[in-house]
Amino acid sequence: MSIVDNIFSQQFRALAIKEFREVWRDRRALMIALGFTLLFPAIMIGSGALSFKVVSETNLNIAVIGSDYAPLLEKQLHGSGFQIDQLREGIPRELLEDKYDAVLQIGKEFESDYHRLLSPKIYLYIDGSSKSGGRGIQLIQERLGTLQKTIMQQRLSARGIAPQILAPWQLQVRDVSTPSSRGLAILGIMVPVLLIMALMVCSSAPSIDTSAGERERMSIETLLQQPLTGRQIIVAKVLAVTSIGWSGSLLSLAVLTLSFALLPLAEIGVQFSAGIIELVAMSLLLLPLALLVAVLQILLALRSQSFKDAQIQLSILQGLPVALLMIVNLSDIKLDSPTWQLIPLIGQQQWLSLLMAGEAISVSLALVGSLVTLSLVGLCILVGARALSRESLLGAN
Amino acid sequence: MIKVKSVCKQFSGTPVLKDLNFSIADGQITALLGANGTGKTTCLRIITGLLKADSGHAYIGGLEVSKYPKEVRRKLGVVGDREGLYERLTVAEYLSFFASAQGLAGDNLEYALQSVREELELSKLWNRRTKGFSQGERMKVSLARALVHRPSHLILDEPTRGLDVLAARLLRRTLLRLRAEGTAILFSSHIMAEVVELSDTVLIMANGTIVDSGTPDELNTRSGSNNLEDSFVKLAYGQQVGKSQQGEVA
Repeated sequence: MSIVDNIFSQQFRALAIKEFREVWRDRRALMIALGFTLLFPAIMIGSGALSFKVVSETNLNIAVIGSDYAPLLEKQLHGSGFQIDQLREGIPRELLEDKYDAVLQIGKEFESDYHRLLSPKIYLYIDGSSKSGGRGIQLIQERLGTLQKTIMQQRLSARGIAPQILAPWQLQVRDVSTPSSRGLAILGIMVPVLLIMALMVCSSAPSIDTSAGERERMSIETLLQQPLTGRQIIVAKVLAVTSIGWSGSLLSLAVLTLSFALLPLAEIGVQFSAGIIELVAMSLLLLPLALLVAVLQILLALRSQSFKDAQIQLSILQGLPVALLMIVNLSDIKLDSPTWQLIPLIGQQQWLSLLMAGEAISVSLALVGSLVTLSLVGLCILVGARALSRESLLGAN
Repeated sequence: MIKVKSVCKQFSGTPVLKDLNFSIADGQITALLGANGTGKTTCLRIITGLLKADSGHAYIGGLEVSKYPKEVRRKLGVVGDREGLYERLTVAEYLSFFASAQGLAGDNLEYALQSVREELELSKLWNRRTKGFSQGERMKVSLARALVHRPSHLILDEPTRGLDVLAARLLRRTLLRLRAEGTAILFSSHIMAEVVELSDTVLIMANGTIVDSGTPDELNTRSGSNNLEDSFVKLAYGQQVGKSQQGEVA
C-alpha cells in the first residue's frame, strides 16, 4: 500500500480523529497554549504602550535653585515636558530624593560673570540610577543648548563677527528611513520570534502527552497492536499536535495585530504595514514550521525516559531555536541571501520579518524553502515510525 | 490456532525465553502459569508482534506474526497487563476508534459496537469518558476493545487482576462463550481457582521455558498433588510442597 493510500485510508481517518480529540480535550495543553498566546503578547504590548505613555506624557519635575540670577534660563526651560519649580535654596541630593527628576543650580555669581563674558557655571544634578535621569539630562541639554547657541550668535554678530566662522562645518543629519523600514527593524525581529515561540510553547504539552504520556499510560502498546503502520501513527500525532501549535501561533498573530492598534506606533515613527494578504501569507508560511516543530518534539519526547524527563528536555530545548534566531539576527550574516532562506526557522523568520513590514518576499524562494522544511518533516516521520518499533519503547530492554 | 515454535529471546544478554514451544487449538482456553519474571509477558508480546523473537517463530491462524503483522493483528484481540484506555474519549468513541482501526465501517461498525455494548453491559458507561472508571469498568472497556472486531484469537495478560466479583464473573462468562464460538484463547494468571475453572490446558512456565503442560487433572496426577497450586510449585521448581516448612518443624 502506498503512503498516500495509508494516509487517506479509513483506518487513518479514525486514528487522526482520535488524536485530534485527545489533543483538543487536554485541558492542561489548552491552558498553556491560551495562556501564552493571549497573555504574552498582551503583556508585551501593554508594557510597551505603558512605558511609551510614561515617557511621552509624564512631565519631568525640575527644581531650579537660584532662578532669580538667570531668569532667561529658567524661562527657556518652560514648556511641554517640564514642570519647573523655582527655589531660593535647597540641597540637590535631598531634592532628588524627594520628588524632583533633576535639579538645576545657578550660583549667585552667574549674573556678574555672564555680563563679563566669563562662562559662569550652571550645575545640573540628576540621579543616574533613576528611570528619568537620562531623559532629564537629554531634554535640559537640548533646551539650554538652543539658547546657548542663540546667545553666542548674538554676541559674535554684535562684535561684527559672522557666527559661521566658529563653525567650520555643519553636520546635518538626514534620516532616510521610512516608517516601514523602521517597522522592519523593530517589529520584524520581535514579532517573528514571538510567533515561533508561540508555536513551540503551544505544541510542547500535546506532543509530550501524545508520545511520552501514551507510553507512560501504556496505551501506546494497545495502539501498536492494531493493524496500523508506524508512519500512520506518527503522521496522525504530528497533525494533531500541529493543529494546536499552528492555531496558537495564528492566535498570537491575531492578538498582536489587534494590539498594534493600541500602540502609538506612528508617534515613534514605526508603521505596521502588513495587510490581509501578508497576514494570510504569514499564516501559510508558519504551517511547515509548525509541522517540523511538532514532529521534532514528538521524536524527542519518544526518546526520553519518562513523561517528566520529556517535559524537562523539551522545556530546555525549546529555548534554543529562539536563542539561535537572536544570535543570527545580531550577527553580521546576510540573512536575506537565498541560501539562508532555505534553512528552516531562519527562512521563516526572514519571510515573516519582511511581510510584517509590508515588504514583498520571493514566492519561489518561499516555496522552495517550505519544501525543504516539509522534506525534513517527512524524514523525521520515517525516523519516528522506526522509533515506534523500538523494544525499549515498551519498557523492554 | 496459536503456535509458538522454538522461540528464544534475551534482553541485554540475559536470556528471558529459551526454546519456547507450544500450540493452542481453536475453541480452547489455555492458561499460562508462571511466577513473576519467568517471561510470560515477553511471550505474549512476541505472539502479539510487539516484540521480535531472537530466533524461532510465532503463528496466529497459520500466519507468521513477524511476516504478516497487519493480517495477524486483524485476527487477534489483546487485553494487556494495563488497560490502555484513552481517558479523554468516551467509551463509544474509544471502541469506535479501535473498530475502525480494525477496518470496520458503516453498518458493520454499528453492529459491532451494539454487540459489545450489550454483551459486556456497557450501556451505562457508553457516553462517559473513561477517566475515573473503576478497575472493573476499565477491564470491561478493555475487553470490549479486544473483542469489538470479533477476533478468532484472544490473548489476555492477567485479566482478572483487581476485578470485583461481578466483573470477574462477567469476564469468565464471556471467555466461556467465546470458547464455544471457536475462539483460541490464551491467558496468563496467578489465580489458580480461575485457571482450574476456565482452562482446557495449562502451560507451566519457569526460567523462560514451558516445563510442563496438560489439563489441570493431568498435571495434578503427574505431580502427585491434589491441587493445581501444589502441582505448579512442584513442576515449575521441583520442590516438595511444604518440605521446607516440615523441615523447620522437625
